[in-house]
Amino acid sequence: MIRALGSVRFTLVLLGALAAGVVALLALDLPPTWCVAAPLFALTANLLAAVATNPAFRRQGPLLAFHLALAAVAALAAIGRLTYLQGGAEVTSGQPFTGEMVGFERGPLHRVRLAEAAFVNAGFEIDYAAGLRRGPTRNLVRWTDEDGVARRAQIGDQDALVLRGYRFYTTSNKGFAPRLVWTPAGGAPHEVDLHMPSYPVFQFGQELEWNLPRSGTTVKVSLQIDEDIIDPEKASRFRVPARQRLRIEGAGAAAELRPGESMALGGGTLAYVSLGSWMGYKVSYDWTLPWIFAAAATAALALAAHFAQRWRARPWDVEPA
Amino acid sequence: MTPELPWLWAALLAYVFAGSLAAGGLVLGRMPERAVLAMIAVGLALHAASIGIRWERLGHGPFITMFEILSSNLWSLLFIYALAFARVKAIRPSAAFVLPALFIMMGWLLVTSPRDGHFPATYRTVWLYVHVGLGKVFLGAVLVSVGIASIVLARSWGIGTQRFARLPASERLSELAFRFLALGLVFETLMLITGAIWAQDAWGRYWAWDPLETWSFLTWLMLAFTLHLRATLRVGPPVGAALVIATFCVAFLTFFGVPFLSTAPHKGAV
Repeated sequence: MIRALGSVRFTLVLLGALAAGVVALLALDLPPTWCVAAPLFALTANLLAAVATNPAFRRQGPLLAFHLALAAVAALAAIGRLTYLQGGAEVTSGQPFTGEMVGFERGPLHRVRLAEAAFVNAGFEIDYAAGLRRGPTRNLVRWTDEDGVARRAQIGDQDALVLRGYRFYTTSNKGFAPRLVWTPAGGAPHEVDLHMPSYPVFQFGQELEWNLPRSGTTVKVSLQIDEDIIDPEKASRFRVPARQRLRIEGAGAAAELRPGESMALGGGTLAYVSLGSWMGYKVSYDWTLPWIFAAAATAALALAAHFAQRWRARPWDVEPA
Repeated sequence: MTPELPWLWAALLAYVFAGSLAAGGLVLGRMPERAVLAMIAVGLALHAASIGIRWERLGHGPFITMFEILSSNLWSLLFIYALAFARVKAIRPSAAFVLPALFIMMGWLLVTSPRDGHFPATYRTVWLYVHVGLGKVFLGAVLVSVGIASIVLARSWGIGTQRFARLPASERLSELAFRFLALGLVFETLMLITGAIWAQDAWGRYWAWDPLETWSFLTWLMLAFTLHLRATLRVGPPVGAALVIATFCVAFLTFFGVPFLSTAPHKGAV
């Protein structure tokens, strides 16, 4: 029974099943967990049975190491799916990230500790080439490390900020952030940074609906930019516009505000303080990654060693004894 | 016209001349091996100049447009094939099959627009060079394997029997073809590993089953399947040769088909 489970013919069947699972994943858009996990699990069982029943397999050290390393890759990837986190966050320039995400997915065993990965988005620069071609993002960040020491760094498209195992990458998703203060009649003021739609993707759709805090009133907020920020004809840099207005409509009132101006709205006062920017981050967590790479590299090196050993022992143009 | 194009055309002429010499040699029963190798070398030098001039002009390597990818892969395939041609005598007659087969790629290159492409921010990493370089060695090794497999298949169909009479038996050639295929497996494994590292660096995920990743994995499975099949069922040289060619077809489709049919981020369009 175990011998049959560990046979190379069964390996062929399982490799075919895995290929079919991958094709199903591609063609039918099925979840990878079920298409790939089942044949991978069976291949691992096949390998362990082969190790137990085939002494020749055990004698070939590098070949055994290759297959065991592959099994380790599969096992680590499975564990990684239980403990991973993947999501996105938006942080206003000059403000801290406090663990609030705009959406994320996680493995069932992941304990969310994003609040421990606090940092400040200290502003960013992005150069554009003619034709709206985005260059590298340079984002300054500040944080306090585990020893209480203040740190700062520049991160970017592929230079992640790694805090408590969470990796923060800048993305092409970024835009303008008007700071507003809403003071309801007889109430305390609320300061809010609104994140307008991503720029320049939604250059001509810089508007959103906003629920005034504790008022039940919804207003439409439109950012009117009176200058070219990113000229598609020449090299430019993403920047906060100097000439701009904020149009507020709702609760029976409408007004265009410049920074420092305010308006009466639904029994309260809405003040436009300033215009800043926000950056969208991709956030990921997977502690298994370095181990997967180590196991995969071991597999490749062991495979190379196996073939080198075999080929040295018997040149290709010599008939086997 | 961009300055690198005349160099490229001159290189293609040298390759076509080398391929014609090889094919003519097969028909006439005597291949001028030194001349074939010399013409490939001349073509490679001219082609390298073309790639270098474009690299200097645009400030980035040949990684973005279809034109650049076809051009650089044509160069790397011929470079690896030329190395094998120079080192292993038994491979040389395969030039009559391999070089004309590469004429298809050359024709494709000629009708592809040489427009400039945008080098995305996520491509500014050393992993790009490592990943792409390993991929080129992988495909080159499989191409050499295909060349040898072509001889085995031609023999089994009775083509060029006289010309191939001096070569080792088909069983031995099949062994050699599978060794190059095994070499391809090692390099494809390394290519996938470095690709995953790059993906983690660039997009915050090491593997996302995008079409190119999925097809690369299928190619890896196909290689593993072919090697296991030969070891287990002891298939004859013609069947083995057919499997080698099928594996190359999947790899070729992965390299040159999928990136241009898919709109996934793997294209670097982020």
